[in-house]
Order: sequence, then C-alpha cells, then structure tokens
Amino acid sequence: MSLNSNIPEGPLHEKWDRHKFKLKLVNPANKRKYTVLVVGSGLAGASASASLAELGYNVKTFCMQDSPRRAHSIAAQGGINAAKNYQNDGDSVQRLFYDTIKGGDFRAREANVYRLAQISSNIIDQCVAQGVPFAREYGGLLANRSFGGAQVSRTFYARGQTGQQLLLGAYGALSRQIAAKKVTMFTRRDMLELVLVDGKAKGIITRNLITGEIEKHVGDAVVLATGGYGNVFFLSTNAMACNVSAAMRAYKKGAFFANPCYTQIHPTCIPVHGDYQSKLTLMSESLRNDGRVWVPKNPGDKRKPNEIPDQDRFYFLEEKYPSFGNLVPRDVASRNAKEQCDAGRGVGETGYAVYLDFKEAIARDGEDVIKRKYGNLFAMYEKITADNPYKTPMMIYPASHYAMGGLWVDYNLMSNVPGLFVLGEANFSDHGANRLGASALMQGLADGYFIIPYTIGGYLAGEGSSTVSVTDSAFGEAAAQVEQTMDTLLSIKGKRTCDDIHRELGKILWDYCGMARNDEGLEKAKHLVNDLRKEFWTNVTVPGSKSELNQSLEKAGRVAEFLDFADLLLEDASSRKESCGSHLNEAYQTEENEARRDDENFTYVAAWGYAGKEKKAQLNKEPLVFENVTLSQRSYK
Amino acid sequence: MSWLVKTLSTSVGKKLVMAVTGLFFCCFLVVHLLGNLTLYKGMETFNGYVDHLHALGPLIRVAEVLMLVFALVHVTTGLMLTYQNYMSRPVKYQMNKSGGGRTLGSATMPYTGIVLIFFVIAHLLGFHFADHETQTVYDIVSHAFSDPVVVGYYVVAMLVVAVHVSHGFWSAFQSLGVNHEKYNPAIKALALVFSLVVGAGFGLIPVYMSLFI
Amino acid sequence: MTKTINLTLKVWRQKNSQAKGNLETYSAKNISTDMSFLEMMDVVNETLILEGKDPITFDHDCREGICGMCGAVVNGRAHGPEKGTTLCQLHMRHFSDGDVVVVEPFRSRAFKVLKDLMVDRSGLDQIIQAGGYVSVNTGGAQDANAIPVPQKIADKAMDAAECIGCGACVASCPNASAMLFVGAKVSQLALLPQGKPEAKERVVSMISKMDELGFGNCSNERECEAECPKNISIENIARLNREFIKAGVK
Repeated sequence: MSLNSNIPEGPLHEKWDRHKFKLKLVNPANKRKYTVLVVGSGLAGASASASLAELGYNVKTFCMQDSPRRAHSIAAQGGINAAKNYQNDGDSVQRLFYDTIKGGDFRAREANVYRLAQISSNIIDQCVAQGVPFAREYGGLLANRSFGGAQVSRTFYARGQTGQQLLLGAYGALSRQIAAKKVTMFTRRDMLELVLVDGKAKGIITRNLITGEIEKHVGDAVVLATGGYGNVFFLSTNAMACNVSAAMRAYKKGAFFANPCYTQIHPTCIPVHGDYQSKLTLMSESLRNDGRVWVPKNPGDKRKPNEIPDQDRFYFLEEKYPSFGNLVPRDVASRNAKEQCDAGRGVGETGYAVYLDFKEAIARDGEDVIKRKYGNLFAMYEKITADNPYKTPMMIYPASHYAMGGLWVDYNLMSNVPGLFVLGEANFSDHGANRLGASALMQGLADGYFIIPYTIGGYLAGEGSSTVSVTDSAFGEAAAQVEQTMDTLLSIKGKRTCDDIHRELGKILWDYCGMARNDEGLEKAKHLVNDLRKEFWTNVTVPGSKSELNQSLEKAGRVAEFLDFADLLLEDASSRKESCGSHLNEAYQTEENEARRDDENFTYVAAWGYAGKEKKAQLNKEPLVFENVTLSQRSYK
Repeated sequence: MSWLVKTLSTSVGKKLVMAVTGLFFCCFLVVHLLGNLTLYKGMETFNGYVDHLHALGPLIRVAEVLMLVFALVHVTTGLMLTYQNYMSRPVKYQMNKSGGGRTLGSATMPYTGIVLIFFVIAHLLGFHFADHETQTVYDIVSHAFSDPVVVGYYVVAMLVVAVHVSHGFWSAFQSLGVNHEKYNPAIKALALVFSLVVGAGFGLIPVYMSLFI
Repeated sequence: MTKTINLTLKVWRQKNSQAKGNLETYSAKNISTDMSFLEMMDVVNETLILEGKDPITFDHDCREGICGMCGAVVNGRAHGPEKGTTLCQLHMRHFSDGDVVVVEPFRSRAFKVLKDLMVDRSGLDQIIQAGGYVSVNTGGAQDANAIPVPQKIADKAMDAAECIGCGACVASCPNASAMLFVGAKVSQLALLPQGKPEAKERVVSMISKMDELGFGNCSNERECEAECPKNISIENIARLNREFIKAGVK
C-alpha cells in the first residue's frame, strides 16, 4: 500500500502557510454540527479539545483518570523548547529544526519538523497568556536554560514542573470550555474500541470504569491523544496506567503503526532496587547541566563515592565527547552508561548505576544556587533513596521513557484511516529515531493548539456532517467484541496476576530490545513473548466481574494489548538492519560505538499494517526525502 | 444591599463577619480592661470611672445596643459555621491526628465560644443588671469577689477568653486577608501578647480583690 | 541498607458508594523498607488476587508525587506522617516492624467514596470550571515577553501553582474545607498580570461553587498547610480572602 504523507509543495519555510491556505474551511455557523471525539486529556488532548471547542465544534473528551489534570504530561520536568532567541545566542527556527532533525538521527520528516519549529514560539506566547508561571529573570523577562544536547538556551521552564504547569494551562482552557458546555468531559473511561463506518473513523466504545458500563460514542472524527507505549517495558518512567490499548485498537482496525522500535531510554533515572518495584522515577536531565557523570576507573571499586579521588574516576562522557560533555543527547548518554556498567564499572547494590555528581557545581555556584535550580529534584531523590545529593553523588541509570514511534500520520496528523487523527506522543511524526530533551511538550502542544484546529477543518469540510448513529450495526458489533474479550479474561481464572506477567514481558523486552539489540536476541525475544502470550491467555487470573469497578480487569486488558504490541516492537527492531538514534543494533556500530545508519536502505518510515490475529504484520515504507539538510553521521565529540 | 447580603452569606463572607465582630470585641476587651485597671487604685477611682461612663448617657446606650447586635451576629454566625463544618464530613475518621497546624485555641473555638456565651450572660446578670440603686458598682465587684467560688469561676472564664482570643485575634487578620511574610510574625506575636494580657489582666483582678480588699 | 518489616494493615473496605464500609485487617509480610507505601499495597493486592479475594481499590498513577491521583489517610494523617510527601512518595523506611497501620479514604461530604480508598474528587474540577483559568482563546496571544513579571511575583505565583489537586487539604481540614485548593488557584492568577482582568469574577464564582458543593468553611486551623504534599502556604488563603473583599467592595 502506498502512503501519502500529504506534504505540501514549495520551499520548506512556506509549506505550512501554503497548506493552511489550501485547507478547506468549515463555516463558523456549521462547526456546531460536527462532533469531535478526543481520547486523552494530556497536553495534546486537552489543548486540542479546548481549541476545537473554542472554534465552535462540539467536543467529547475522554480520560481514564478521575480528572483531565492527571494525564502523564504532568510529570514532564525539564522544559519546553521554542525558537524565540530571547537569549540572543544564535537560535532560530532553522536551528531548532536542524537540531531536531539531527537529534532524531535523520529519521523524521523535514516538513513536519520545520512546522514544529515554526510553531514553537506561538506556544510560549499562548501559555504565558494563560497564566503559566514560567521562570523569569530579575528584570521580569522569561528565563531560559540549555537542555539536552542543545548548544543554545532555548528551553523555557517552570522549576522542575514544566509539564505540570503547561498541562494545568491546557486544563484551564479545557475547563473553560466544559463550563461553556462546548466540551463534554468523560472521566474514568477506557477507550476499548474504535468504530469504523465505511472505512472511516466514526466513533469509539468506552467502558465507564466506575460502573463497568459499555458506552457507544459517535463523532465526525476521532482524535487519539493517548500517549506512548513506554510501559511495555513494565518498569518505565511512565505513569502506572499509561497504555497502548487505544493505539492498538486503531492498529487492529487498519491504522498503521510507525517505527515502534524507536523507544527512548532516558539516561537519568533512579536505578532499579528490588523486584517489587512498580516504576522508575526520572530525574530531569537538566541535572546534567551541572552534574558530572562518572564511574570508578577500576571495575569493582567498592569505595564510597566521596572516598574515590579524582584520578580514580572516569568521567566517561566528558572524556569521550569533549565538546558536548555531559550534555550529549539521551541515547548517547544512556548507551554509554550501559557500556560502563557492562564493563563492570557500575556502582550501587546491583552494579547498574553511575554517579551524577554535583560537588563541583556546589563548590562553584554555592548550595543556594543549586538548590534554586534543582531543589525539588534533590528533595525527590532523597525521599526515594534516603541519600542526600548535596553531600553524596546521585546514582542514576537509564530507563524507558518516551516512545518516538506511534500511529502513522500524514502532514495533517491524520492516520491512514480517514477521520482518525493522532496527536502528541501517540503519533510518530516529529522526533525521528530519538527525541531531544524539552521537545515532547513542544510537540504535544503544537499538535493540539496549532495544527489540529486547521487540519481537522480540512477533513470535516470535505466530509460533511455525519449521519451515523449509535444504532449503526458497527457500534453493536464493536461493543459485543469488547464484552467478549472481557468475558474471556474473566473466565481464565489461572494462577498468575496481570502484574506478574507484565513484569516478565518487560524484562524480556528490556533484556533483548532495550538500549542495545542484536538479531539473535530479538529472535529469542519473539519466542519468549509468544510463549508468554499463551501463558497469559491460559493462566492469568482476574478477580471480580465486568459490571463493577474492577482495576484488575482494566489492567488485564492493557497487558493483553502490550503483549500484542511487543510483537510489533520486536518485528520492527529486527527488520531495521541499521542503527539510528535510540535503535542500536550491535551489528551496526561505528568504531566509536555510535549508531551507524544505512541511509541507502533505511531512510524510510516503517509503517506496520495489521494482517490479522497471529499473522505477521505487513511492512509499508514511507520514504523520507531530505531536500534541505545533508545527512551526516551524528557526532557530539 | 443585595450584593452585601450575597457577599456576607458565602463561606468567606461569614468568616469576614466573624473577623470584624471578633476584632470589635477585642477592642472592647481593651477598653474594658483599661477601665477595670482603675480597681487597683481603689474604690474612689473606680467609682469615678463608672460615673464618667454613665455621664456619657445616650452614647453608652448606643454602644450597648451595638454590642448586643454584634454579639448576636457573632454568636449566630459562629453557630451556623460550626454546624456547617460538622456536617461537611458525615463519615468521620476512625483515626485522626493533627499534622501540626491546630493549636489549643483553634481546635476549641466553638467550645470556648459556647462557654463564653454563658459566661457573658451570667456576667451581665451579676454586674450589669444587678441592683444599682442601693450599691455602687465597686460594692458589687468587691462583694462578688469575696466569694472564692466566684473568683475561681472568673479566673477559669478568663483563661477560656484567653484561649479563645489566642486563635481569634490572629485568625481575624487571616480572614481579612492580612497575611504577609513581613508582618505575619508581628501579628502572631501580638496575638500571643494580646491573649496573655487579656487573660492575665482580667484574671488577676478577682484574685487581687479577694486577697487584698 | 534494605531490610524488611512486617505490618498489620487496617484498611477501609467499601464495595461501592452506597454500601456501608468497615475496616478490615490484613497482614503485609516481608516488606522492604525501600518500597513506597503504594508498592507495599501492590504486594498486599497480589496476595489477595492469588487468594481469589477482591484486591484493595485505590487511585494512583504517576507514582512520583506530581499527578495528584493518589491519597489516603494513613494513621490519621492525609498522605501519611511525612511532611510534604504524597502517598506514593512515602517510603516504608518510615515505619517499624510490627506497626499497625490504619488506612482510610479521604473523607468529606464533597468526596463520595466510590470503592475502598477511591473517592470522587470531581468537585475540585467543578471549582476550576467555575473560573480557575484565564479566558484566552488559542491564537492571538501577544509576545510572551511583552509584559515583564517581577521574578518575585512569578515565584509566588509558581509557589501557588504547584498545587497537584490531590485533595489532601480537604481531607485534613477539620471542616473539610477546600480553601487551600481554591486559594492556590486564585492566588496564582491574581498575582500574574494575565489573570488580573477577570480576578473579580473569578474569585466570586469559584467561592460560590465551593460553597455549593458542600465543602466546609475555613477556620484557619492550618491543618491543610501542614499536610499539603506541596507545602502550599495559607498565605494563599489570605490572598483569596483579600481578593474576595476587593471583589465585594469594588
């Protein structure tokens, strides 16, 4: 099947303007005749819901938590990028575009990334107008910091809680539309099925998590803003309920899943410390601005960190990458930490941790300055580990954090299923094979505030308002399917819990499809996942019934989809016979252990199509064309 | 007027009413205490002060009516708030501990308040509505405080007043929106001093009278 | 270093919002002191599921203290005994072997118990819907640096904005009042120039919604401030009062 990315003609910097002009408009008075279903209330979902409602569309918004404000965007710490060049340090749209393309190891679309960089400035304006309390300088102007592999200071932040503040801004805008009755908010709902009528997305099936009731919702378009699949690794920095179910339902209904093997492993997380552990906590990578990463030079050195003199320390990032030092992109930092630990230099109880040391920064700037910058992060670290990072170095280790892959979308953010739009982390569009720090918030809000309001109009204007209703047979069939899956899960009554199986799945993927991959391991993992899926469907136990509040049943449904998704992840990883960004196949490395791309054969987006149960997914390729940048080997030396 | 009623009938409005009337009574306590201090100078000074007050004539009546109205407002609003607050948590905790915010004064506000209603009524009956034809106010005071039971009762009542204002004084400022990092320590210190002065100032009078007169 | 402890839990169990609930006793064995409180609950639940019993329902999500989803009253304290800590960030090293731990849901007339420890806090959303935002549509905002905001003001606004909406203030208030929650939002927006144009309508509308929902009245007991996992100051309640007076007088 051919994929049309609908990238507009013309020079890069004019594409978006030209496209906006070309898009059809919906007459203001007609907008109220359209209903848009938005699934998810994070940055992308909340901003899209609010913006569409402001335009006059009827919006129904769904979230699984008790309030739209709880979406996991809230946990983003470090900041949001924008090409404002307020610091007069040479930033520009072109530079943000180039950094993002390069950071993504040349596996993203030029046109999408350029548009993102163009829009970035509007986002900051919008958020400030909403009352987001960004950090400011003494003079009252906005403060910036340099972040995650950027050599300019373009990151706006609100202490270590930027995601929270941006989400609360979007949540405020959403709340305003709920009060105005333009948005109907459905909280504590799981989306369990996508409904297609004549091949177009026309509705969803949800479960009311309190009553267990199965609900049918009809709309003229469906917008998925359901986040990423990082929890497939079980241990990740994602929230406990983050899941891939909505995306997988769409995939099984024909939407393509793009680049699932691009999973970002974040370098600065609190290390694993026990079997019971439920999640890994991220320590913002802004810490790398002042912290120095090191391990003992001699493997097995068991001295306390403060007793190890400088000549016995190996500041591996600074030594290997003199110009970027501790600020190399996430994938590079993560892989190097793993490399050191694999070589036996790791620290901590498990040997899978490296030090992040603030001693020098505290000596240079004083404890007050460091406290002002990172106080809340240090406090959080101390709460979790009972170690005081002002006195002893932090221990960090990489953890699954973000999914660059996601449902395939075109330039309009519409998937190959007409009427199904995908925003934010749930789509694959802008980060290529690796996302730069402080770019996720930028993308989520760009999609929701400034892209979907235009592009959805283009689709709806061409489509006309729908005559579909919930009595349509497609809804009945979808609901019956959902009920049947739940009945099956409840009837197994085996001997293992969902968490137990999920944990095992996570371990398989982390070991064989984590920071470094090889063909042999991937094949092994495919078998293991297959066996585990059988184990799940024959030996899982789910207590309770489907017609009540049942958290175990919710979990079971999610684990079932993660198991299916794992196949896709492994398939994509093994078919990409190159290394790029976060995807490192050990067979394809440079002499310096960097990812070695194969631009001749793999400069494409891998968009996987569902072929049926237990059938191998079908690969569709969207070639990536680079007209404005020259593909180069990334080097952060 | 409707905006005023509307404003004052909200939860925050009711707290404003409590704050304003409460602070009014704090002022009253100061004036009352200053007057009472003349007792230490003996009968003549005290009766002279009483005569001065009575000479104010209608002004005193106005003040009394005002106080009565404020008292009714303070008490009814307080009871209303207490009732609403009680109803706001129909199922109580099986185990409940303070996180460190509450003080003796704040936790007992409604109870000390109710005790004070009865005290004020008894106090008015014993002093204000006593027979003023055949005896001077000083006579009434010295007679009353010759009984150790009355002295004990007054001392306890004054402790209750001190506890009540220890929270009420600071709380009134908070309710009126006066809380500023610069001035807050001063307000809190003043509240402590105020409750000590009121408690000790009023409480020592009966003791002094019973021991030395 | 890691050690393990055994605890006795007394947990509030309630089948649904209509049912009558009661405390049930469970034992939590071999709990690593490095676990968080919720991880300890996970362990208890895993055991219950394997025994074919109904696991304890509780709200939780991010498990890093920011989403505001978790919360329970542990031994009489909202989010447990540690100051400035959400339940998910409370670690078992703060408990001793043999402790009896009583776990109850956040209680308020406005927070209906849905099941076990899970409560309905949608009232807090309704209060925000009543005006806890700046009424600006997407697009058309002026340049972000057009209005300078003094750093001190921005910092104060941020102090207030840190609220995670968990409802611990309501749960710990002797009167189940939501004033700290409302005060934090009103303060954030009243401090910033962007929030000033509708400051008056905002405070009046949010307070009347709060009253309507059956939250109690503030009596300045400061329990909310003491239990707030984000250490939000009651200075924000004073500012709310001030804003309310301003709105009434003007």
